Amino acid sequence: MRKYFLVFVPFVLLFVPFVMKGARSGMIRGRVDLRRVPLPVEPRPNVAGLGAATATLDISDRLASVVYLESAPRGAFETVETTHAVMDQRGERFVPHVLAITTGTIVDFPNSDHIYHNVFSLSRTRTFDLGRYAAGRSKPVRFDRPGIVRVFCDIHSHMNAFVLVFSHPFFSLTGADGRYHIDNIPPGTYNLIAWNEGVTSEPRSVTVTDGSVDEEDFTLR
Amino acid sequence: MKLVLRRAALLATIALGGAVCARAQGLPSEPVALVGGRLTIGGDVSASIGPDDTGFFNYTDYEHSALKLFRADLSASFTLNRHFAVLAEIRDENIDELHAYALYMRIRPWADHAVDIQAGRVPPTFGAFGRRLYASDNLLIGYPLAYQYLTSLRPDALPWNADELLRMRARGWLSSYSIGDPTPAEGVPLVAAFRWDTGIQLHAASGVVDGTIAVTTGTVSNPRLTDDNSGPQVAGRLSARPVTGLVLGASAARGPFVSSTAARGAVGDGHDRSFTQTALGADIEYSRDYYLVRAETIWSEWRLPGVGAPVINTPLRALSTYVEGRYKIRPGLYVAARADHLGFSDVVGSAGPQSWDAPVTRIEVGAGYSLLRNLVLKMSVQRNTRDGGRVTSATLTSAQIVYWF
Repeated sequence: MRKYFLVFVPFVLLFVPFVMKGARSGMIRGRVDLRRVPLPVEPRPNVAGLGAATATLDISDRLASVVYLESAPRGAFETVETTHAVMDQRGERFVPHVLAITTGTIVDFPNSDHIYHNVFSLSRTRTFDLGRYAAGRSKPVRFDRPGIVRVFCDIHSHMNAFVLVFSHPFFSLTGADGRYHIDNIPPGTYNLIAWNEGVTSEPRSVTVTDGSVDEEDFTLR
Repeated sequence: MKLVLRRAALLATIALGGAVCARAQGLPSEPVALVGGRLTIGGDVSASIGPDDTGFFNYTDYEHSALKLFRADLSASFTLNRHFAVLAEIRDENIDELHAYALYMRIRPWADHAVDIQAGRVPPTFGAFGRRLYASDNLLIGYPLAYQYLTSLRPDALPWNADELLRMRARGWLSSYSIGDPTPAEGVPLVAAFRWDTGIQLHAASGVVDGTIAVTTGTVSNPRLTDDNSGPQVAGRLSARPVTGLVLGASAARGPFVSSTAARGAVGDGHDRSFTQTALGADIEYSRDYYLVRAETIWSEWRLPGVGAPVINTPLRALSTYVEGRYKIRPGLYVAARADHLGFSDVVGSAGPQSWDAPVTRIEVGAGYSLLRNLVLKMSVQRNTRDGGRVTSATLTSAQIVYWF
């Protein structure tokens, strides 16, 4: 059931005693502490290869976590703007490895390598296959449904990434120091969740009041 | 009893395909990395089911048909440092004994240069298909004829004359000759994809061109763990990527084919290196957007001793060409097809000239559907026709489920 945690649940709105118009807002901030070492995906053992693979591995992008509100006030859904985001393919990696966007966002997938890549996803939230295209070209995908989309390359099995699609703007990607902050949250009581590489924290109930700044730290194991 | 158990295991695997799909979420979807990422373990498991292939068109040896096969490959790479790695692969077919398919050391003398030396039981230098014969890499279920179809030639047994050779036309699945080992056994394909050779390999790559040269104990049609004729094979391959998506390749190999024992039985001592296999190959691959096209042609000749009359006018030659393609219809679903022909040169027997083995043509069409990224269901239909043998044609429908990590 955890996989559906991003899907908007309408009845939750009934418990959000909030009127968006004219309200002030608060902030939630804190830190996500990763107690496990997120190893990068190794290339498959290239036993049939005539030489060593050239892919470079980097775990720094595995440290990025996303903290988000499980539900949001009704007013958060009133406007859906079409924005663009970019997930590059560079050095046989998706950059960034984690992208957090709102519904309606168009993600461009440029190929910055001198080899073919083939971005695809079989996730139920958004299924697509962009085919093979060379360096200098880019193809877009629009994400209209909230959820988690795992993105892969059909040619390089070690290339993978996450696109987290939210139906509201109350989420934050952690920085290199693990810190995050979610601004402009309308007063109310929410469930706050931290996510890293498919691992999620238990929902934490947080009450936001006018001008409040809540400090919420998470530990993911 | 053993055969029954194997078939039961195979059928159970197919029948449980749905359950596998449901449970596959809990199986590894990526290589297993241990020892801080130094040890990487990957796997490729496939189960194929099809009708009885009474013409032995798809047999890879006397017991195994590519269309009725459970195969599990486990491969591992252990990186000692930036210069040394040990790679290995073990394989099981039809719940039988495990075989070490590959075991070699990869040495990269200069960490920043794409030059590698591989020593041990190494991947094939010759051709293109031999390095992508895992079920997850194969567009269809059957294999190209050049890499799978068993000709009547054997390295350990030799025909006395041309008539004896011609009697074995279309009998490559179980051929027998009067010189050398008299036990009936399978013949060799043009290029063996199901065994790897042993030796040393040097590979260098730039951005556009790759080159490989290898010295091994066997030949491309008869890779060996240990030498049986005191003569090494030399093989080379050159490939180029002039533009993104286009790969052009050329290969060549030459080495003694006939075993010392068989050569001695035919012409006495001192001819270990005289009876060779020479092979040349050319391949091309082009892909773009949602399609992929490959073609490969392989020419091979074997020199055998001429013993009795009518004498075998060697060399015996064979030429195989296939063209295959894939088109992705929608995410997770593709269609594929392969057209394949294998032909042979003529020898003159008592009844006149005839190709030394029966030419075969195969057309295979199929589709693949990804239940998950690493769980693929394939179906294919192949039409085989052969100019000789007890069974001259066969239409075979098969299904395969493939899981890899």
